[in-house]
Amino acid sequence: MNLPAYFLADLPPEAALTPAMVNAACDTLRRNRAKYLLPRSTESMIALLCEVASDWLQPENRFRRLALELGPAETGFSAAVLQSGLDAFFREFTPGNFRRLLAQEVGGALCVTGDDWRAGRESVPAPHASSPAPGYWRGPELLVHIAAGNIPNPSLMSLTLGLLTRSAQFMKCASGAALLPRLFAHSIYHADPKLGACLELAAWRGGNRELEGALFAHADCVTATGSDETLAAVRAQLPSRVRFLGYGHKVSFGFVAREVLREEEIASVISRAADDIVAWNQQGCLSPHVLYVEERGAVESDQFAQRLAVELAQRELAAPRGAIATEEAARIDSQRAIYETIAAHRADAKIWASANSTAWTVVFEHEVTFRFSPLNRFIFVKPVPDLPAVLRGVDELHGRVSTVGLAASPAKAAELAREFAHWGVPRICPLGRMQSPPLTWRHDGRPALGDLILWTDIEL
Amino acid sequence: MTPELSAYAARLRGLMAVSPPAISPAQFDRLALELFALQFQSNPAYRKICEARGQTPATVQHWSQIPALPTAAFKDLDLTCLAPTERTTVFHSSGTTEQRPSRHWHGMESLAVYEASLTAWFLENVPPDLRFAIADLRLICLTPPPSLVPHSSLVHMFDVVRREYALPASVFTGQLDAAGSWTLDFTSVYNQLTAAIQSRQQVILLGTAFSFVHLLDFLAIKDLVFNLPEGSLVMETGGYKNRSRILPKSGLHALITERLGVPREQILCEYGMSELSSQAYDGGARSLRLEASGSSTPSPKPQAPSRFSFPPWARAQILSPETGQGVGEGETGLIRILDLANVFSVLAVQTEDLGVRRGDGFELIGRAQLAEPRGCSLMNA
Repeated sequence: MNLPAYFLADLPPEAALTPAMVNAACDTLRRNRAKYLLPRSTESMIALLCEVASDWLQPENRFRRLALELGPAETGFSAAVLQSGLDAFFREFTPGNFRRLLAQEVGGALCVTGDDWRAGRESVPAPHASSPAPGYWRGPELLVHIAAGNIPNPSLMSLTLGLLTRSAQFMKCASGAALLPRLFAHSIYHADPKLGACLELAAWRGGNRELEGALFAHADCVTATGSDETLAAVRAQLPSRVRFLGYGHKVSFGFVAREVLREEEIASVISRAADDIVAWNQQGCLSPHVLYVEERGAVESDQFAQRLAVELAQRELAAPRGAIATEEAARIDSQRAIYETIAAHRADAKIWASANSTAWTVVFEHEVTFRFSPLNRFIFVKPVPDLPAVLRGVDELHGRVSTVGLAASPAKAAELAREFAHWGVPRICPLGRMQSPPLTWRHDGRPALGDLILWTDIEL
Repeated sequence: MTPELSAYAARLRGLMAVSPPAISPAQFDRLALELFALQFQSNPAYRKICEARGQTPATVQHWSQIPALPTAAFKDLDLTCLAPTERTTVFHSSGTTEQRPSRHWHGMESLAVYEASLTAWFLENVPPDLRFAIADLRLICLTPPPSLVPHSSLVHMFDVVRREYALPASVFTGQLDAAGSWTLDFTSVYNQLTAAIQSRQQVILLGTAFSFVHLLDFLAIKDLVFNLPEGSLVMETGGYKNRSRILPKSGLHALITERLGVPREQILCEYGMSELSSQAYDGGARSLRLEASGSSTPSPKPQAPSRFSFPPWARAQILSPETGQGVGEGETGLIRILDLANVFSVLAVQTEDLGVRRGDGFELIGRAQLAEPRGCSLMNA
């Protein structure tokens, strides 16, 4: 790849990392932060991030082109899947959206570093301009991210939030999953080399005690995304003074209410359901495993499933899923074999699947209990009489749900949202938007930016 | 059950009794298509699935096209040609987490085929000097006895081996704990091993991989090392099923050699499941014979790539999960087995195990776990 070696992750794979290299990198990051990052205002950071994102959305952008050229081999996602996932992500980067995020997370308060706080002027418009400043906030000096390997957006968002908090950042990528974080970091470097010098990325197989020990000794705050085992292992290694933010794996599902199951709307609903299944090939925690579809709509639930299968077949032509590992294909194959057997014996169970490939699968069954999909465009469609049946079906998932994608009339949607919120779902969005959370998304119900920062309360 | 199936079973047992066993490819194909047609008639649950797939005796031309059923289908369906009154025995799939185990029904005749199959192929795979009952042989099974676990096909198999040898000195050293999990009576194993060494008896030690881990951990804690008499044989089988820590195969075998004094070439690995009536073996006498005959300079490498082989009346196919087509040599796919010894159930079984194709056999990779895509751990929670 034709990229300069700015980051440890740019080194050739045979270059062995040592704790001394990690130590040196962390020392440099701290120095660079003091010089280059601390003087920067929130507004200037927003401007930079929006500029970088706007560049990524240009077809000729170098980093975008590298992502689409090298991504399929490195990540397993097809260029079409990468393109729509990255575009949806970077389109959220607007000054308005960043201001909404800051208003939500810090109100009108100023960052103690960079913002012009001595003058008492607010660089970010406060929602209640007349209320007194509640205090000042600041980000961690050295923010360490332990990134997961499945989809890139969470890693890119972590780096974005860290820039907003003006933290030096060290991201440990999963081995073999560094490409997109690297390209994003290079694009920051390209836009502003001084800010790029406050980032470090490296990739190694998680659990390397020597490297991680060195890294954690420097960290002020560590975020980690991954399995429960990964999070527990990271947490156990951290010195007690280091703050830890762990994001475990979650699951998501969709709900389609019967009023939208009519001929006038069905094509749009099906298309939005397919958007959520195709986005990142269902690899993220926000992707649906199951779509619950209310019975007794003008279009019946099995018709919904059949039309969804047709739509997924068309999506495969337009935006192919891409190759997957043998083990992943084997999971799909095993699940298909089971449901083919069930479907042969039960008139109320059906399966539609791509021929001669595992590219997509729709399983229709009346059993309301939530099922874990083998993912990679494998979706369960489950008819339900009403919302309580859904809540019974997902009963064992308390605390493990990320997102519910809703297709319902506006009045019904508000009512359903209340019910799901009461049950404990942290995010409810329109079907079709499940993998495109806004910048203001509170990750797993926690304030994403707010959790990173520390406050100075002013009680004067 | 029909007279045709009974006649088929009798014929198959005749073929199994030939040593060394040999069935030509054409003969295998004929036998498979014949059995498929019989099962299509007599196994309504199987027929329904074949019809749904449009694969019937009228359309299937070759044994490799015979519709295979997933092992999971044995959980929900009675996949048998036996009438309810003919079902005398049922084997369940193992595993502590199984809510609903597989059920493989057997009757008198099907057990006779099962036992003929396992005996013939077991004897073919043990060293020649262990092939016949000899007085100074001691058989130790690290499982509970059949009376405690009547639905374990594995324990039934061990019991058949025990009967075959007709040995007075044979013992099951496993027990069941309150939760129904298999445990080991360490004192009993210790006494058995000690007695074998004192009386210089060769030992055949049969067990699951996790029972060997339990035993080896016990020996490590007590700092005990046994040096079993030369010629002793270890046979290990099955996965770990969350019943012990997991060791890679080479690590398990190294520990067996270290703690029990049984060299690698005397360790036999078995691959079997309750849904089948035949087993595959890796290592042991037959593998060594093949290795020696395969090259003019027999390789002494103890860690040659492992290769499981079924008897001639069963075939393993390694299929690409993506396309359903057979994979090339050295490539990985799902293991599908066509077992003629499954006379009274379903002859073609699709496993959820991945294997690397090695000639007619395979190297076992293991189960493709569901719903742990790229590190999602909800299923483990």
